[in-house]
Amino acid sequence: MTTTTTPQTQQPAATPRVSFWRDEAKEPWRRNLALIGVLILLFIIGAVIRPELYGDPKWVFDNMMVILQQASAIGVVTVGMTFIIIGGGIDLSVGALIALAGVWCTTVATQSFGSAGMIFTAVAVGVGAGLVNGVLIAYGRLVPFIATLAMLVAARGLAARISGKQTQVSTDQFINSIASTRPFGIPMLALILVAVAALGWVLLNRTTFGRRTVAIGGNAEAARLAGINVRRHTMLLYALSGLCCGIAAIMLTSLATSSQAAAAELYELDAIAAAIIGGTLLTGGRGTIVGSMIGVVIFATITNLFAITNTPTEAQNMVKGGIIVLAVLIQQLKFKSVKQMLIRT
Amino acid sequence: MSTPNLSRRSALFGAAALGTLAVASACTSNETPNNTQTKGADTNNPNAAAGKQVTIGFSAPAADHGWIAAITNNAKAQAATYKDVTFKQVEAGKDAAAQRAVLETLIAEKPDVIVLLPHDGKELNAFGLKAMAAGIPVVNLDRAFPDALAYRCQIKGDNYGMGVAAGHYIGKALKAKNIASPVIGEIAGMDELELTQERSQGFKAALATYGFTVSNRRAARFTADSGQAEATGLFQALNKIDAVWNHDDDQGIGVLAAMNSSNRKEFLLVGGAGSKAAIEAIAKDDSPLKATVTYSPSMASSAISLARLIGQSKGMADLVELQVPKEIILASETITKENASTYLRLGF
Amino acid sequence: MTNENVILRLTDVVKTFPGVVALGGVELEVRAGEVHCLLGQNGAGKSTLIKVLSGVHKPDSGTVQWLGEEVAFANPQAAMKAGIATIYQELDLVEDMSVAENVYLGHEPRSLGFVNRSLMARNTSGILAQLGHAEVVPTRLVRVLSSAGKQLVSMARALSHQAKLIIMDEPSAVLAHDEVENLFRIIRELTAQGIAVVYISHRLEEIREIGDRVTVLKDGRTSAVNLPARTTPTRDLVSRMTGRTIEYVFPPRGDAQPGDKLLEVKGLNRSGEFHDVSLSVHSGEIVGIAGLVGSGRSELLETIFGARRADSGTVTMNGTQLRPGSVGASVKAGLGLAPEERKSQALMLGEPVYRNMTLSTFADLASAGFTSTEKEQAAALGAAKQLDLKPLDVRRSAGTLSGGNQQKVVVGRWLLGGTKLLILDEPTRGVDVGARAELYQVIRGLTEQGVGVLLVSSEVPEVLGLADRVLVMREGRVIRHTAAGELTEEDVLDLVMAGSLETAGEEAA
Repeated sequence: MTTTTTPQTQQPAATPRVSFWRDEAKEPWRRNLALIGVLILLFIIGAVIRPELYGDPKWVFDNMMVILQQASAIGVVTVGMTFIIIGGGIDLSVGALIALAGVWCTTVATQSFGSAGMIFTAVAVGVGAGLVNGVLIAYGRLVPFIATLAMLVAARGLAARISGKQTQVSTDQFINSIASTRPFGIPMLALILVAVAALGWVLLNRTTFGRRTVAIGGNAEAARLAGINVRRHTMLLYALSGLCCGIAAIMLTSLATSSQAAAAELYELDAIAAAIIGGTLLTGGRGTIVGSMIGVVIFATITNLFAITNTPTEAQNMVKGGIIVLAVLIQQLKFKSVKQMLIRT
Repeated sequence: MSTPNLSRRSALFGAAALGTLAVASACTSNETPNNTQTKGADTNNPNAAAGKQVTIGFSAPAADHGWIAAITNNAKAQAATYKDVTFKQVEAGKDAAAQRAVLETLIAEKPDVIVLLPHDGKELNAFGLKAMAAGIPVVNLDRAFPDALAYRCQIKGDNYGMGVAAGHYIGKALKAKNIASPVIGEIAGMDELELTQERSQGFKAALATYGFTVSNRRAARFTADSGQAEATGLFQALNKIDAVWNHDDDQGIGVLAAMNSSNRKEFLLVGGAGSKAAIEAIAKDDSPLKATVTYSPSMASSAISLARLIGQSKGMADLVELQVPKEIILASETITKENASTYLRLGF
Repeated sequence: MTNENVILRLTDVVKTFPGVVALGGVELEVRAGEVHCLLGQNGAGKSTLIKVLSGVHKPDSGTVQWLGEEVAFANPQAAMKAGIATIYQELDLVEDMSVAENVYLGHEPRSLGFVNRSLMARNTSGILAQLGHAEVVPTRLVRVLSSAGKQLVSMARALSHQAKLIIMDEPSAVLAHDEVENLFRIIRELTAQGIAVVYISHRLEEIREIGDRVTVLKDGRTSAVNLPARTTPTRDLVSRMTGRTIEYVFPPRGDAQPGDKLLEVKGLNRSGEFHDVSLSVHSGEIVGIAGLVGSGRSELLETIFGARRADSGTVTMNGTQLRPGSVGASVKAGLGLAPEERKSQALMLGEPVYRNMTLSTFADLASAGFTSTEKEQAAALGAAKQLDLKPLDVRRSAGTLSGGNQQKVVVGRWLLGGTKLLILDEPTRGVDVGARAELYQVIRGLTEQGVGVLLVSSEVPEVLGLADRVLVMREGRVIRHTAAGELTEEDVLDLVMAGSLETAGEEAA
């Protein structure tokens, strides 16, 4: 222990200009740049293997639109997942909730109520199931992993029951036409994704809801002791994720003009992986919508690239797994260095 | 793909509107098969007369795929056509281990015959041996036991033959159009299953006889949404396609959706399995879907009939043998516009 | 006793951490078969000393002689191998393993490469019998044992390593009264076999009963060595622990009289934590609570704040009774808490300072649910200036600040909320001495604006120097309540360390 008694006199330090590459606050930007670099790399790989396709600007634009369209449903789910993970949780039930909402909104009974009835049903089922998750986790004190795992199993079961294990075809012209509409040459589903992501960005970065999410994920105890109602907010987060699932269910139903209990298989893993690749900290408190969206687009681009180069699916899954591991490893290294910096000061 | 059911309608929608999840299961728990493939009593057949009372135990995976659902429904319905058959179904659970567990209890109940669609033929081989040793004949449905002692009779579809049928149909059609080096796409089912590999091998072999090869092969997951995704990828990879074989009519719903939204209809599409919707579309002939090669779940109905005959120690009336044969492999048939009407009855 | 009996001798051991001298010259002499007590206030260096003995830390200078030879243990395993075992307060047992597995964890007896379970169980039974507890079944899961039982397992583990010296860090803290007797019986068994025990405790009565000799630590130095444990007067022991060389710079108390009553706590109870606590805080007044760790202080503060729900009793703020167990209600009523564990309970280290400061007010600064970065930064900057935050940059992440400035951020949070009553739990923990003076100034400055402060600190001089009124807590009860000027540091230590409540009352009277 030191024996000084005089208060240390420090000059009010003027913040030194930190270069973009070293500023800690710019970390998400650097990561997003790196991810865009990965996208460019994927593009180059495609161009080298299939120059005749990539040489046609019309095809390239069309292909980008197709990638966005195929990324749309999983992208909407990833917006919700990003909120959940930033808030310190996890939602394993998203794929199952899409299947449940999709199956429920395409029963002959629901379809008789028309497009509005179908959309309303999908959203209500998603939000309802999300609320069940939220209540179990926030008030029933279940670990998110367990609660949403149970929901995954139960929702797939219920979806199988409702559909009678059949593929339910959507006969609703409006719902079916969503996926095939292309205003200004841009697929409607991609526009929906952009809208949802933009709303998510505003919600996360500009509203009290987003601030509470970051605070709870960053330090739940501090948030509680600052007077934030942690439980209610946790519940709302899972309802938000459920809402995203409901929207995604409509999008997927429109894409496949049908729905079934096995639909949206392993979407939970893709959504979590996309968020992680996008820089969302699995322990909560940090993450960006933009990063998650780039993560989703990277996955969709890989799928697309593998189709274009006629590479078997199993190779695609291996590459995806490798990318996830790599992203998390990089994240851990970065996080470690931040932690070391905190300890040093 | 079910017919309207008014009692379900209001209940389901009302429950959804409330956002309550539990109600629906109660409302929909009594799923009744609405189209099944059965063969009613044929008075000219000596086997039609009621014989000794037979109890048939039945087990098939509780899958959420249309084909498996049809299997169970067909078995149930076929059993119902016989006055002398008691049908005892046990849930097969999620995987081979779960199925083994419930089958143990089935042995204890001593049915006369067991009809079984195993999760995995290799993993349930031991059960077959055990049941046969206990004096209960086993009819294996579609997924073969490696050990010949493990079953009394086996009835299955022909996956390789399915691929061959699709390959020949496409090969002939393209030859007729005089296309020298056609672009052929394949949308397979779940790639990790042996049956998918067999189908693809048959397809490849048949195409080879015409000097054709598959340009791009994508594997979907037997679901409509994965079918849509893989078809979309295929269309991006191939600017112009002459023919596509899609292994499964269920995932074909997604393939058709992808064709509509990306406006790609320049090619000839062949389906697989033979769903009712696909057969109807072929009959109407207003889409690129021109044919489908069968892998019919009607085999479940036949399996029940065979089980009854085995239980009553009767042979198949048209054959000379006094007992049911050991193995029956269904031929994969090609359904086209010309014969669609006769097959509509068998669509699931 | 002669020198041959000395098994451990420390001479002039120094250990520094960056910026802090944890041990500044420590002597210690332990003989075989004795119970040597280590006494000292919080922060006197006891834990560092334990860690040096058990091989966690290496001393910077000075010598450690073990069994007559100079040693430097590379790691805890080396110390264990040499025969020095440490039983920490937080027992390092694996709850879901059996007693025997825990005793032989890491050095399981093997035959042909397989763990010899029966031999392990037999040996464990032998050791337990040696400790006078043959009734404990070696195959039971540790999870089901009581605290005392778990301690016994820890000791058995030490014996399984043939330990000659066992260090016990406040072993009685987790035990009920009758269990302490049992612990002493075990310690006597050990010493009878020639094993030495270094015993650390705050409770003088225990030291008198079980100890042979006492070494006193103060500010990282030994202020007295080898005092006889039974006969040294309490006053002597206490005076060796107090009279710090560190000077605390407290701002002068203002002349202003305390204003209206803000907080009134009546008969607050939480079973196992504190009993029947009543207190009040007026505006412009600092009320300090002195007491050792484990006396129920932090629990009391959190209960007043609504972070824990009281079993009985009421908390009234400005005449309105607060809804129990609701932090939200307390914050609305004007309470604010700066909790004990700043990093884990108060701050989001990766977030910028202003977001930490506005954690309880960002919703008020928002319009229609949309947050305003400008307003928040402006508000935070105002508070930061008032608190003299260094560096004065609210966009920095909170994790980059020093301890004292982190504490200012937490205090700033409540300043922004217009908090009328601020509860401070160990506000200067981990804050260096210079910055402490600044914090004291900040706290005093708050009272001049009419804020009431309820303060808890393990540093007795801090409570006495800063507070207007002082409550002394011991084992969950308030045992003294008086104006700050009427108590000395030694009085307080007497009160909190004395053997029992009754004697404490007498000595205090």
